[in-house]
Amino acid sequence: MLKLAILAVALSGAMVAGPCMAHAKLQSSSPAKDAHLTEAPKALTLTFNEAAQLAVLKLTGGGKEIPIPVDKNAKASPSFTFPLPALAPGSYTVQWTAMAADDGHVTKGSFVFSIAG
Amino acid sequence: MELSGWDAAAVCAKAITYAATLGAAGAVFFLEYSGGLLHELPRTRIRRLIGTLLLGAALASCARVLLSGASMSGELAGMFDSGFVRMILGAGEGRATGMRMAGLALAALAIPSNPRFRALALLGAATASISFAGVGHIRALLPNFAPLLLLCMHLLCGAFWLGALGPLLIAARDGSDREVALLASRFGKLALGVVALLLAAGAGVLWTLIGDAAQFWSSDYGRMMAVKLLIVAALLSTAAVNKLYLTPKLLSGDAKAVIQFRRSVKTEMVVGALILLITAAFTTVAGPPQ
Repeated sequence: MLKLAILAVALSGAMVAGPCMAHAKLQSSSPAKDAHLTEAPKALTLTFNEAAQLAVLKLTGGGKEIPIPVDKNAKASPSFTFPLPALAPGSYTVQWTAMAADDGHVTKGSFVFSIAG
Repeated sequence: MELSGWDAAAVCAKAITYAATLGAAGAVFFLEYSGGLLHELPRTRIRRLIGTLLLGAALASCARVLLSGASMSGELAGMFDSGFVRMILGAGEGRATGMRMAGLALAALAIPSNPRFRALALLGAATASISFAGVGHIRALLPNFAPLLLLCMHLLCGAFWLGALGPLLIAARDGSDREVALLASRFGKLALGVVALLLAAGAGVLWTLIGDAAQFWSSDYGRMMAVKLLIVAALLSTAAVNKLYLTPKLLSGDAKAVIQFRRSVKTEMVVGALILLITAAFTTVAGPPQ
């Protein structure tokens, strides 16, 4: 057992190097959560509390999904901005899934905003 | 906390990966410390068990990556999306899975029963056991050397304890009553120190991740950890019955004790599986309070 303990010390040393991050939480967004906008936004921005990789981003409104291409190969970043097509008045839901780059943990969330007619 | 079906599947795959990897590693350790206490038939069956668990661990590790893709995307297509797989493997899971596969490959050297490969098989078993520390919440701490060390000790001790249960059951079924008694006694003596180290290391990891008793109860992570600790207490009780009551009866030659011992080991296996399932859950769908 002592030999295994020494082995564990040696092997765990190999895992010390590398950046350390934690769960990625959405710090802010534009449009903001529950925002009531008077005109359609031109872009959607998500800002996390740390660098993360955005895995999934869905924007739905009026029962339809508005395609927003997400580059899964993009480097980890705390902020992501996507240009939006012209959005009609109504209520929209943004669903996102992000992965913290080093601890590999996934967080999901959603928020809504609306555009006045 | 909402869980989709894919989230649940990813948690199950993780639990199976834990069980198969720690089971295989613990069985390799068992062959080492059981020495000449077992005759060839149970030893052969234990080696076969190691082979089955190694294959299961490798397959479950791959399934886990694919199911994580489905969990992230919320749909089946996510399992086959190379973008998700690359993302998952790049975020620490690749390192952990690579380390595990290398460890499992080396641990397979325990199967041919060649004494020249014993040290490599043990190294492989240890490597596979601690591979789970290659990714996860501990990685988010600064500094993290001591917490990583504690987690590695916790994993090694967990492999020793839970991984011995399959071989003990095989021995209790195929070994003579005398062999079972001597094995139970040897395992019990070793397990005293191992379990103490397991609990101390686990407490240390928990403290570094949570650190504040108030946050323990206010977070999903803390509450799920509390369930794990309750189940661990149940496992400790069963193990205590084995050590303090059944093992002396086995050593005195009580014929009924072997049947009771088999039943007790099966109970420990079920409880151990529950521990691994709850651990897979709170390390996947919850995070320590920040």
